[in-house]
Amino acid sequence: MADSTTSTGSPGSRILGLTTLLGLAGLLLFAFALTEPDVRLHPTTGEEFGQFDAVRLLYLHVPMAVLTYVAFLTCAVASAGYLLKRGAWWDVTAHASAEVGTVFCGLVLVTGSIWGKPVWNTWWEWGDVRLMTTLVLFLLFTGYLALRRTPAEPQRQARRAAVVALVAVLDIPLINRSVEWWENRTLHQQSTLAELKIEDLTLFTLMLGFVVFGLVFAWLMLHRFRVGWLEQAQADRDMALAIAERHAEMETLDVDAAIGRTGGGK
Amino acid sequence: MGEPVDEESGEAGPLDLTPQASRLRRRAGRPLSTVFLLAVVAAVVFVLLRTLGDASLFFYEVDEAVSARAELGTERFRVVGTPQPGLVESHLDGQAVVVFTLCVADVLADVAHLGDPAELFQPGVPVVLQGSWVSGDPPGIENLSAAADDGWYLRTDHMVVKHDNDYRGDAAELESCGVGS
Repeated sequence: MADSTTSTGSPGSRILGLTTLLGLAGLLLFAFALTEPDVRLHPTTGEEFGQFDAVRLLYLHVPMAVLTYVAFLTCAVASAGYLLKRGAWWDVTAHASAEVGTVFCGLVLVTGSIWGKPVWNTWWEWGDVRLMTTLVLFLLFTGYLALRRTPAEPQRQARRAAVVALVAVLDIPLINRSVEWWENRTLHQQSTLAELKIEDLTLFTLMLGFVVFGLVFAWLMLHRFRVGWLEQAQADRDMALAIAERHAEMETLDVDAAIGRTGGGK
Repeated sequence: MGEPVDEESGEAGPLDLTPQASRLRRRAGRPLSTVFLLAVVAAVVFVLLRTLGDASLFFYEVDEAVSARAELGTERFRVVGTPQPGLVESHLDGQAVVVFTLCVADVLADVAHLGDPAELFQPGVPVVLQGSWVSGDPPGIENLSAAADDGWYLRTDHMVVKHDNDYRGDAAELESCGVGS
């Protein structure tokens, strides 16, 4: 695994990064300038109603939520792969996707809260089952990352983390299905895409959001994976160096004295 | 370089070749990450307890709240329903209230909500209110065209809007309930 690479960048990742930046700029243009606010005319009162400009957060919040699922599911698959194959590639992938997923999940909570204030009339609602299960997911993976920082023998730490990831990911179906299973315990709406209650530029911009945040995810994963791989390579190199130093040390010792404790090697 | 020394006995002993992490680093790293891990576990427990505790409040539909009125008594609960056209601004016990009627499955309940309604409050857009049943008529009920007027009303002080999943602009359909549905 020894690797002399010192950078996580490559021509391919730079092209991906540039495409991602352009995509983000395009998404912001569509989300905040080209799409219309959600304004409807009330059939009875004739007044305007809807979500107005707050609806624009749809194009950020929903794709980030989906990419959170993707990241944590990637982590779970890689964790299962590690438990089965015990390869460093699986462990590094699991760690990288957990970190990226936690960032996305945090952003989902923040953008959801910002969206909730004008639309729901509250920043936060204790008891909303989707909010709470999402917060629990965030905390579980924050705990996963903390666990990876606790001092332990690397293989044992990787095994523990893999088990935690496989348990934590069980929260995802609860989050996703909560609006159907506990309709009266959430302010969250039911699926818009499943019922096709979105069309034209609004639909296009939402799809663009999925693509762009998919690129953001890929770019972050690529770099975080490479950082993890380099860390592993460095750790292996340090280990090999330490062993070589010990062997060199041994060669300078009076071996008989070291084994039999009878000598006084100097 | 001298012979390796057993740390506990202070005597020379066999050489352990297993590479070990620095002791200094272990001592420095353990408390911070362990405390953080414990804090995360405590936060998860807090959220679960808070959620389970609050879940009992989440939430009756208007028809359920009306049929369970005797059991609910003065208990505080959450209720979801669709506001009917018509809103009266009034005062109750010296406080500003808005009075309107909620509907689910053609069952109506009158509401006196303390304070301003939510910014996106509109007839046909479901709201979740928090409060309790009160016997009597809310002030200004005579000005509502489609009131339940059954001798009870919901006195509430917390309102959130439960928006729909329709993003088709004017093609979107409103919840229909009660009069005119």
